Amino acid sequence: MRTFSYVRADDVDAALRAITDEPNAKFLGGGTNLVDLMREDIERPDTVVDITRLPLAEVEELPDGGVRIGALLRNSHLAAHPVIRSRYPMVAQAVLSGASGQLRNMATVGGNLMQRTRCLYFYDDAAACNKREPGSGCAAIGGFSRSHAVLGASASCAATHPSDLCVALAALDAIVELRSSRGTRRVPLVDFHRMPGDTPEIETVLADDELITAVELPPPPSGVSRYRKVRDRASYAFALVSVAAALDVQDGVVSSIRLALGGVGTKPWRAYQAERALLGAPATEESFRAAARAELADAVSLPHNEFKIRLAESTIVAVLRGMS
Amino acid sequence: MTQMTRTSNPPLTTPITGGVGESPLRPDGALKVRGEFAYSSDLWADNMLWGVTLRTPHPYARIRSIDVGPALALPGVYAALTHEDVPGQNAYGLEHIDQPVLAVDVVRYQGEAVAIVAADHPETARRAAAAIVVDYEVLEPVDNAETAIFGEGVPKLHEGGNLVRYVPILFGDQDATAEVVVSGTYEVGMQDQAFLGPESGMAVPAEDGGVDLYVATQWLHVDQQQIAPALNLPQDKVRITLAGVGGAFGAREDLSMQVHACMLALHTNKPVKMVYTREESFFGHVHRHPAVMHYEHGADRDGKLVYVRAKMFLDGGAYASSTGAVVANAATLGVGPYNVPNVKIEGWGAYTNNPPCGAMRGFGAVQACFAYESQMDKLAEAIGVDPVEIRLRNALSEGSVMPTGQLVDSAAPVRELMERVRDKPMPPARTSEVDIRTMPGGASNTTHGEGVVRGVGYGVGIKNICFSEGFDDYSTARVRLEVIGGEPVAMVHTAAVEVGQGLVTLQAQIARTELGVQRVTIQPADTSVGSAGSTSASRQSYVTGGAVQSACAAVRAEVFDLARERFGVSDLALEGGKVVSASRGVLADLSDVLGDRAVEHTREYRHRPSFPIDPLTGQGNAHVQYGFAAHRAVVDVDVDLGLVRVVELACAQDVGKAMNPDAVIGQIQGGSAQGLGLAVMEEIQLSGAKIRNPSFTDYLIPTILDMPPMTIDVLELADPNAPYGLRGVGEPPTISSTPAIVAAIRDATKLALKRIPVRPEHITGT
Ligand SMILES: Cc1cc2nc3c(=O)[nH]c(=O)nc-3n(C[C@H](O)[C@H](O)[C@H](O)COP(=O)(O)OP(=O)(O)OC[C@H]3O[C@@H](n4cnc5c(N)ncnc54)[C@H](O)[C@@H]3O)c2cc1C
Ligand code: SF4
Repeated sequence: MRTFSYVRADDVDAALRAITDEPNAKFLGGGTNLVDLMREDIERPDTVVDITRLPLAEVEELPDGGVRIGALLRNSHLAAHPVIRSRYPMVAQAVLSGASGQLRNMATVGGNLMQRTRCLYFYDDAAACNKREPGSGCAAIGGFSRSHAVLGASASCAATHPSDLCVALAALDAIVELRSSRGTRRVPLVDFHRMPGDTPEIETVLADDELITAVELPPPPSGVSRYRKVRDRASYAFALVSVAAALDVQDGVVSSIRLALGGVGTKPWRAYQAERALLGAPATEESFRAAARAELADAVSLPHNEFKIRLAESTIVAVLRGMS
Repeated sequence: MTQMTRTSNPPLTTPITGGVGESPLRPDGALKVRGEFAYSSDLWADNMLWGVTLRTPHPYARIRSIDVGPALALPGVYAALTHEDVPGQNAYGLEHIDQPVLAVDVVRYQGEAVAIVAADHPETARRAAAAIVVDYEVLEPVDNAETAIFGEGVPKLHEGGNLVRYVPILFGDQDATAEVVVSGTYEVGMQDQAFLGPESGMAVPAEDGGVDLYVATQWLHVDQQQIAPALNLPQDKVRITLAGVGGAFGAREDLSMQVHACMLALHTNKPVKMVYTREESFFGHVHRHPAVMHYEHGADRDGKLVYVRAKMFLDGGAYASSTGAVVANAATLGVGPYNVPNVKIEGWGAYTNNPPCGAMRGFGAVQACFAYESQMDKLAEAIGVDPVEIRLRNALSEGSVMPTGQLVDSAAPVRELMERVRDKPMPPARTSEVDIRTMPGGASNTTHGEGVVRGVGYGVGIKNICFSEGFDDYSTARVRLEVIGGEPVAMVHTAAVEVGQGLVTLQAQIARTELGVQRVTIQPADTSVGSAGSTSASRQSYVTGGAVQSACAAVRAEVFDLARERFGVSDLALEGGKVVSASRGVLADLSDVLGDRAVEHTREYRHRPSFPIDPLTGQGNAHVQYGFAAHRAVVDVDVDLGLVRVVELACAQDVGKAMNPDAVIGQIQGGSAQGLGLAVMEEIQLSGAKIRNPSFTDYLIPTILDMPPMTIDVLELADPNAPYGLRGVGEPPTISSTPAIVAAIRDATKLALKRIPVRPEHITGT
């Protein structure tokens, strides 16, 4: 690990000052991703700004029936929060299906949004990786590609975004609140993460001097909601495929649907095409399958991840079938 | 309350507790659970330096030059050494001395050690290693065992070519034909031992020019034999003491940091500690051999085996390690625990540029068992009988003859083991009110029961216990009996390595039983006593157990001499700290008889000899003892999503004598879990001969949610050749759990599943 300086910010303004004044600084949330990457010499901040003491760890109920989740709330607290559990069970399920109890106790909401890919080559500094080293190439395309994305990949990068939480947030139309010395802006979560294109190293719209302060959820969609994850073992593994869904059926017809996918996309993947196909369609296995296929029609596989296309289809169908 | 009245004579003595056949608490248990046990990575010495290894990123490359100058230029760096600094022979190995201590002009696998550095801080040492400049000419790696041996124009990775060992087993009529024939090609991925304590130890330079090494290993004396020539020291100047071992499973049988730490310590004249990182550990030890096995079974209409033919290719990776013995095991045990009149098996072990493979729990028997058990299921289907029945019809038993011509001359209860797992009540069917954590997909809320199909499968395996093929396999024990604080105390000293299996506890149990004393102290294992051989091949209870037993017998005999002199009787026994005569009852306290005398004896114990196999026919009495276990696996498979939940594992195993029943159960559970891992998730992912998942985030081992409850039957059919009649326990359960689980998945999915581990995509298809 390289040497770095450590600064602790006690309030938001101090955090914003530190990130602006210190060259090459990074915020430190739970550290479960950043510190690992620093050890691997992949992240190389000169200064680490500890933001865990910022007063941003609450869940507030909003007048419109939504909630505002502080960016420094720990993942385990988020999953255990009574309002989240009762009104947004999909969020609690998504968080609980990720990582381990110990990690969730440390990990923060903001850090979860910002966590970096688990592409095996991203971690191997002897391998070419455009995300780690822009312009160096992509060892995964043509290498061992089992974990990679089938949706949204470019010729530069096919890495998946590994978060479970973000998949649920994408389905729920979450808004991310960002603050900098220039002011506050609000970005829909689905626009927060970027497609890799030719610049896979730029992963989000967050500016270097911006802090994630909160995530807001609009009132929960009607009907039932669920998060399901398919992975290589029963606990403590990243998703091969995951599905966040909120479904309402009136008189046998889909009246409301929110669908997002994890493990298959280069970013948390809101399945708009599937939603369009489903809305107003009969809530039958055929419609579910047709919708899944519509979403996956553009899927492109690499040599080892072809199975994800079929698996995503089956998972979408299984989840919707279980909810209708 | 009524006063207790004695109705029978009081026992002559207060009986000893914690002897053979009981399960006393292990001394390291509470410490380990509380995190207080000192592992080798906790070693500390004032003024010590930290050693770090520079490893090649290339699986195959020529080294043009190495420049350690930039490393030495860093403040805090005490040494940066290369092959030029190896004081003695720059080569070591368990069977073949083919692996350089530090690479000279070629590297043969990713992670091979090229240079070593010592510095006053681990981070400084890491930076110094990174600063070393190595100029490589990168070559195309050889990454397939079969091509390595038979391919055209494949580079020779070692002088003698790419064949490590070829083992044919020819038995009966090679041209036999049969009415029913089934065949298949089976593949096993590369499994890792996944121990938790990374390779680590500390070398301390001694005033006599030698070195004291504290290290987590599996076999102190074989380390010493390899380290001394590399350091150009006589063996007795390399003194090794066992440090706390955090698991081994075969991965510590080869050297890792031993010579490196000693070189740095001797060079800097300071203690040097080395601890591998988790990632480095994946490059720092050998793995289980990946295998490709082509099998053909012929049987008559009743399913009685007529012949088995097989060709198996095991990938030994860049250096031989124990590949030769692993291939011999796979081949000699290649038909499984069955009577087969005609056999032709050929096994090849190859050099490639993949990571070196060597010992891992099950040692060649694992790979073969997956193949032959898959074949037995296929045969059952072809004949139209159930999988248990086909196994019963062909079951090996005492008096059977193995394809090596060796007579099975002690208990081989294959039939009974199968019947026992078959007859266990089935776990209850799933109900709608399930805990989702017990469903396929586990904690991820993946299924609530829809699309889930139950399957049942069986597996039975055979394993040789102890070292085979004529190896002089022995252990040494020193036992001392004396009075301490008015009480007789036995001290046991061996070089046998406790890797977590409970050998320290067992040695004390044996001393208690043999000497009738309660208090036993176990000396730390070191090289000041004779070799104990390896903690592998399920052999330590047998061989070191035998050595402790016979050293105790020698001590006891001397005590009896003293007692005979004093009391003039010879029908003596030691019980509850007393010297007892069958005819006259308690004669005296043992402490009385001993006085201030210490009675001490050292004994070597050898099991009955084994013999080499004929290199052309594979015939010979290669093995010492056979161990058997059978499993029944019940699985739930979400066939849509490719997820498997093992619902229950039933295991029956013959252990000859349950020396420590809790430890036996622990071995069976642990071994079964490791077999489960191989069945459904564990694999070192290689591409281009490089390890792609060197972390426990990416190399998955079963969690407690993946491991089902087990029902276990332990048989105790004594082997008259073995101490206490015991039969090695550690490996057999690993062997049969894998094929049983895969068979159960096949039963649920009707898929062929010829490769392990079976992953979701193998079940859902693409
Ligand atoms: C072994 C392992 C398994 C895991 N499994 C899963 C899994 O199955 N599913 C899953 O979803 N996740 C998984 N994770 C990832 C885990 O969820 C993330 O590491 C965690 O959410 C990151 O949160 P953190 O607070 O620790 O972030 P940190 O490590 O502190 O920070 C991560 C990044 O976010 C930035 N950052 C943090 N907070 C802010 C903020 N408020 N504003 C702007 N930038 C910020 C940091 O500068 C840094 O770049 C796993 C992690 C590990 C180590
Ligand atoms: S897929 Fe992306 S992260 Fe992975 S190696 Fe290619 S560029 Fe790097």
